Amino acid sequence: MKTSILKAIELILSMDAELIDILSVTAKMSIQSSLIALLIGLPIGIILGGYEFPGKNILLILNRTLMGTPPVVCGLIFYMLFSGVGPFRHLKLLFTVEIMVLAQVFLITPIIIGNVESFISTIAPNVKETAKGLGFSHIKTLFLIINESVYQIFSAYLLAFSRSIAEVGAVSMVGGAISWKTNVMTTAIMQYTNRGNFTLGVALGMILLSVSLIVNIIISIMQRRLSK
Amino acid sequence: MIKIPPLKKTYSSRTVLDFPGTDLEKGRIYAVIGSNGSGKSTFAKILSGMIKDDDKQKLFKDIAVGYMPQRNYSFRMSVVRNILLGGKDPSLANELMERLKISHLKDKRAKSLSGGETARMALARLMMGKYDIVILDEPTSAMDMESSLLTEELIKEYVKNTNCALILITHSLQQAKRIADDVLFFHKGSLLEYGSAEKVLYEPENAETKKFLEFYGS
Repeated sequence: MKTSILKAIELILSMDAELIDILSVTAKMSIQSSLIALLIGLPIGIILGGYEFPGKNILLILNRTLMGTPPVVCGLIFYMLFSGVGPFRHLKLLFTVEIMVLAQVFLITPIIIGNVESFISTIAPNVKETAKGLGFSHIKTLFLIINESVYQIFSAYLLAFSRSIAEVGAVSMVGGAISWKTNVMTTAIMQYTNRGNFTLGVALGMILLSVSLIVNIIISIMQRRLSK
Repeated sequence: MIKIPPLKKTYSSRTVLDFPGTDLEKGRIYAVIGSNGSGKSTFAKILSGMIKDDDKQKLFKDIAVGYMPQRNYSFRMSVVRNILLGGKDPSLANELMERLKISHLKDKRAKSLSGGETARMALARLMMGKYDIVILDEPTSAMDMESSLLTEELIKEYVKNTNCALILITHSLQQAKRIADDVLFFHKGSLLEYGSAEKVLYEPENAETKKFLEFYGS
């Protein structure tokens, strides 16, 4: 164990080529998927949290259900859609980073929607009442709601990012964990552990934990600022 | 004159407001009094457009309505920036903060203010604008006596300077006596008495009004 950790540190410091490739694929997938999820989830979260309309409760229940989607089920759906017998086979996306991004977007967008909706629904009635009392337009009111929620939105984004970076089930199914192509940190840890190569697995585990720690420190700072 | 049409509001067959309609004269202060559940806040919310009456009518056309709710919201910014949301004149903002004795708080985070300070900030924010009708829903309920008196003076000046019709929802009969020109007494959703402050507060005709004044005025 001790030897593995020391070797892992050595590997990180030596900037091993395979390790760098895994990190860059992971970063590409996580950053792209979390940004796309933010673009989709933010407006939906704001609408669900800030406005009343028929069918809203059904959408909320649907979103809460999607928040708990098991990653392997998501992987299975995307595998079936894009495999040789699926309706989107002509796109030839299976076992690419792009389909991994798509699967991740499906998994993490509900997290962003849920978190944004939950916060905005608590502040929107008061913000709207005050804004209407001052004669503000709908657009100005919307900007104020977003301004009030900026830390919460960033915090929701980081939560989605950390879910994306730590996810293994869906990405291994649709990405195939192909070395030098679609292997990300989590799938690589599984792969190398199965092969008995603990050094790279431990190195990746240490990096993954460090990223998780940094994300959580940022979220904690955000929440402290939010409570002031 | 600003015409207020008859207003009715019912929640699951319970009538919470049945107002016969009236005319408001600009430059006057109307105090709305009544016990809890009398329909005062519903009246204020319908007039300000926060909620619709049963007929879902749009009450005012080309009439600016300013409204300060009971729960004042502080935006996540400094006190002075909160006030400047109401209007762009920094010198007016400084003057209002001076008058309401919150100048020393101008750069503080608005969320860190006490209830009374928040109410003064919210009032300054509203007074940055000009409206035809201004509705204040218990603006001084969180304030101490000194701040309440300062606020009342400022309200009177604001009405005089902007020539608006100001509707003041209040629980304080003393406050109504000090600043109101006219008084509307609500009871169980109905307007039971309406007239000059002297008449309603000192020579009420309705038995319910008398009972209310005896109870709260003592």
